[in-house]
Amino acid sequence: MDKLSFAKLRPGDDLPELRIEITAKLIVGGAIASRDFQDVHHDQDAAQALGSPDIFMNILTTNGLVGRYVTDWCGPGARLKKVDIKLGAPNYPGDRLVFSGVISSKNDAARTVEVKIAGRNRLGEHVSGAICVEFQVKE
Amino acid sequence: MRHVAPFGHRAPTEIMGADVLPGLKQYLGQRFGPFHCWDPVNASMIRHWCEAMGDTNPIYTDVAAARAHGHAGLVAPPTMLHTWVMTGYNGLRPPGSATGNAFEVLDTIEQAGFPGVVAVNCEQEYFRYLREGERIHYYAELESVSKQKATALGTGYFCTELSTFYNQEDEAVGSMRFRVLKYRPANWNLDNG
Repeated sequence: MDKLSFAKLRPGDDLPELRIEITAKLIVGGAIASRDFQDVHHDQDAAQALGSPDIFMNILTTNGLVGRYVTDWCGPGARLKKVDIKLGAPNYPGDRLVFSGVISSKNDAARTVEVKIAGRNRLGEHVSGAICVEFQVKE
Repeated sequence: MRHVAPFGHRAPTEIMGADVLPGLKQYLGQRFGPFHCWDPVNASMIRHWCEAMGDTNPIYTDVAAARAHGHAGLVAPPTMLHTWVMTGYNGLRPPGSATGNAFEVLDTIEQAGFPGVVAVNCEQEYFRYLREGERIHYYAELESVSKQKATALGTGYFCTELSTFYNQEDEAVGSMRFRVLKYRPANWNLDNG
């Protein structure tokens, strides 16, 4: 059973907000889970040598969090078709990432909706993007 | 490995009359690969990923749930697409992989006086969900280089790499467009280069 009924979704519907605390543990854990060993994602000295105040989140973790944000909302029966993100202000430890989203369009024939999302932290917009989700005919 | 920082973006505006650097077009459309995976799609790496992301979608960790939602078995989070082919701790590609990379153009642009690089966009398409046991490889090409653009960070070129991902039977399973800005910082002096 899906959390959501495709038939009831409408452009303009909001997704519930998701707040994620940005910790060094999340940044390092996400980098390692995505097999990204660039030093700026785990070594504060290396990050500072390149002009950053601290280590910062890698792109694959941001992408993973965006995917999670959308599937938390649409449930395990829906499928991600496309995740198109634009990258902005970095995620440093001690910050908080707040996701919001809205249905921007719906395609009844394809059983897809496009969701526009934004992930903001105290520096501004960390990520924005368009995600296409397909809902299965039968669950 | 190149340092890629997030990008404080604003809409780029084109400099009138400026064109691409001479010689950049030769890089377009050259296909590099295959680049192989170290590990097949597997439950352990999926679980590690889900733990870090806080992703509790059961189709990634519970076979019964995956089947109940129309999958043959466990599937990977689609956003792991690129993770399967990362070089990992030692920065080495698995045996049998090709050499070279589709972003060699960045070195050429850098030599022309554009030392900075930031990631701008990442656009992934998932043709279908990846199943436990599949072995992923990919090919990459430089899809486009913009004309010279003025941005908030400085002047530079937007370069887009297109990677296409396949399973062990050469079935295309997904794609990724990764766009970076290779730029000269606004306050950067050429003599410092």
